[in-house]
Amino acid sequence: MKFKKPRSWTQWIRRFCQLLFFALFIILAWNLHFLDDENATGIYKIFFHLDPLIFLLTFLSTWAIAGLSLLCIITVIITLLLGRVFCGWFCPFGTLHNFFSWIAQLGKKKKEYQNRTSAHRVKYFILFAMLGMSLFGGHWFGIFDPFSFFYRSLATGVFPAFHVAVEESSTAIYKEDPKILGFPVAKISEPIYKQFRTHVFRMSQKTFYTEGTIITFTLLFVIGLNFVRPRFWCRYICPLGGLLGLISQKPLLRLYNDESTCSNCRQCSKECPAGAQPDQRGNWLPTECFVCWNCVTSCRSDSITFQFQILGGKKIPTGKLDYPRRTVLTAMATGTVGLLGFRIAPQSKGGQPFPATLIRPPGSRNEREFLQRCIQCGACMRVCPTNAIQPAGIEGGWEALWTPKIVPKIGYCLYGCNMCGQVCPTQAIQPLKLLDKQKTKIGLATFDKGRCIPYSYGRECLVCEEHCPLSPKAIYLVERDVTLRDGSVVKIKQPEVDPDLCIGCGFCEWSCVFQDTAAIRVTTANESRNSKNQPILVFENTYSTGTGTDSGIPY
Amino acid sequence: MRKKTRRQFLIETGCCAGALVLQPMMGKAQNTTPPDMVVCKWKGDPIPEEPTREIAEKLMKKAIEAIGGLEKFVKKGDVVWIKPNMAWDRTPEQAANTNPDLLRTLIELCFNAGAKTVKVGDNTVNDATKSYVTSGISAVVKETGAELVYIDRSRFKEMGINGERVKKIPLYPEIIESDIVISVPVAKHHSATTVTLAMKNYMGVIENRRMFHQDLPTCIKDLTAYMKPKISILDAIRVLTANGPQGGNLGDVKRLNTVAISTDIVALDAFGSEILNYNPNQIGTVKKAFEAGLGQIDYKNKLKYQEIVV
Repeated sequence: MKFKKPRSWTQWIRRFCQLLFFALFIILAWNLHFLDDENATGIYKIFFHLDPLIFLLTFLSTWAIAGLSLLCIITVIITLLLGRVFCGWFCPFGTLHNFFSWIAQLGKKKKEYQNRTSAHRVKYFILFAMLGMSLFGGHWFGIFDPFSFFYRSLATGVFPAFHVAVEESSTAIYKEDPKILGFPVAKISEPIYKQFRTHVFRMSQKTFYTEGTIITFTLLFVIGLNFVRPRFWCRYICPLGGLLGLISQKPLLRLYNDESTCSNCRQCSKECPAGAQPDQRGNWLPTECFVCWNCVTSCRSDSITFQFQILGGKKIPTGKLDYPRRTVLTAMATGTVGLLGFRIAPQSKGGQPFPATLIRPPGSRNEREFLQRCIQCGACMRVCPTNAIQPAGIEGGWEALWTPKIVPKIGYCLYGCNMCGQVCPTQAIQPLKLLDKQKTKIGLATFDKGRCIPYSYGRECLVCEEHCPLSPKAIYLVERDVTLRDGSVVKIKQPEVDPDLCIGCGFCEWSCVFQDTAAIRVTTANESRNSKNQPILVFENTYSTGTGTDSGIPY
Repeated sequence: MRKKTRRQFLIETGCCAGALVLQPMMGKAQNTTPPDMVVCKWKGDPIPEEPTREIAEKLMKKAIEAIGGLEKFVKKGDVVWIKPNMAWDRTPEQAANTNPDLLRTLIELCFNAGAKTVKVGDNTVNDATKSYVTSGISAVVKETGAELVYIDRSRFKEMGINGERVKKIPLYPEIIESDIVISVPVAKHHSATTVTLAMKNYMGVIENRRMFHQDLPTCIKDLTAYMKPKISILDAIRVLTANGPQGGNLGDVKRLNTVAISTDIVALDAFGSEILNYNPNQIGTVKKAFEAGLGQIDYKNKLKYQEIVV
């Protein structure tokens, strides 16, 4: 017999709330635009600021408070009072998993595998491991933090894939020009596509991300886990869930299962997406419960209610957190060892640049501090107007996995843009003023004269000089005699780089006529953020525009 | 090109001079052929900080009127493609992109002439979403009701243009299919071609243009020959005299308050070179195009030329 409770309005309020926050998250991520006023970017960071995990761990690793990150106190207070409502009602990543759990269970008989297992400990393990790492000045939680995870997947996976899908399909229709009953499909698809290009897509060209595929696969994998257990991520992996679980050990709002009416049918336990044991009287687990109200709605005898534990009132007993102190120490030790594992890589050799292609966005702090702050959320990659900022692979070490780097052949750092620093929620990339950003060196361009056309083939080229955005240009031309094959001597303008002026934006490398390997390439040499990476002695020459910054941010 | 005898030349010049002198006396009723090239200058010394709106509007209107009205070129129901310089993420004051006020007037004139659609677009260097806005052109286009086109890299089509150097090149079909393409460049310095003007502006309708730089004059000549421009307009309200083509330094910008229109694109570029203080005979693109018979360098003598001060 199918049993449906008529009184499920709380469920609908919850679903509405979840959808609202999910939509808000997507819209904020989608709309993050490089044309916005730099002062108006605060709203885009709101989800990151509300995340206490980001606050706690970046605070522990840097002992600094970034931006408005203290807003996470709101989340903490709500959790102290009501338990993990954040997971059940607000978290957009949780909503995603909730949706796919529902899909996974469609048409299936509900199984009773919902109770606590030792796998529940995994999330606390990850949390304490990251905590241990942070205490010793490093972290990797950006890989696991739900907001970072989701945002990064959207920015470098889902959104670009959407653009590709729309563009490729309409281009295919345009080129093939198929007809249905003699009517050309392109007549309908073209105007729609044009609307997308002018009003929906943020950039007029497609964007590409080096690690986009693997990031998307991790998202798909995590979504797929919902088919193993409902909300697999939320109940077993999510370190933010772990942190909120720790806070909600003694919440004010508690589940009460009335012994006198309960028929022990255990329907509530089948409905519980968290494995919070609502059926076991006095042993309900507030640390796992998402307060989703499924149990209340599913109860046939109305025995389950959520009640406030009033001071001095009747005590509502709860189950205890299953995470012994010894395990905490094990986890923290693991994290510390993990950090050591990161630090034995040559990439973390004190301040020395390695590798040369790890060009950080302008305003990035020195590498150690950068990694202590960066949460791999991908906001800078999303906002970059040239698609320059890419998730790094392991070239910067495993510690720097998916942190931002600039790949000039994909995109260059736009001279008139400073948005990456404005949108960074943890100020790993500092919010530089435009004039300061234009003086910040992120690298140095060098000619490969064996490949450069005016040097090696005796022809004019100068595309790079044309593109150099500085004024006066950092690339200048010298006219020299070049002997051609037939022995004739011609005067050819050959480009050179002025190392005092070059800021390493990579526009030259991007523009180079060689598409495979450019004949002018940018490396991290001269980058302002690293005092040990300064091969060029600064000469005050007549072209120098002066150094120093106005924002008061020291280099 | 047929060579002119001295007698013919003298007669023509005399007639032109006579017509110019007599025109005001005879009034509008007189059936004279309009000039091939008009240069319109703003009276008095230019003030660099002065807003360009009124100046651009008046110069443009006068110049179009003098050349015989836009109706001569834009037919009723035409699709017009305006190709300005808007490739760089620079403000109008930096003179790397065409003046938006000038474009506003031009778009309005196109609509007045009966154009069905006016499209504005360029294959930009900096991403279009950014440079269209920074250049101020996006706002103007929206204001006038024209269509701002974001060039789509996936829609370029390889077409044969059978030039001397360039045989095949990916062109943008939407531009080629337009009834008329009006090149509206801003006069600026360019490191590779010394100056960049109306002919070089056609680099914005193609893809794979970077390799052109190995022989720019010939490639640009090939492209111009293919495009067969009917009318081109030069924006010399602000010109960029150094660090071109994208400039950035306001010190390199010179205020000239001049607009030139010509049916002869080579003549227009020759004029543009002169106002940037170069000898057009030494500019590779201009010389090459002249040698290929695309137009005249000596616009003052070989064309019907008119100079107006507004």
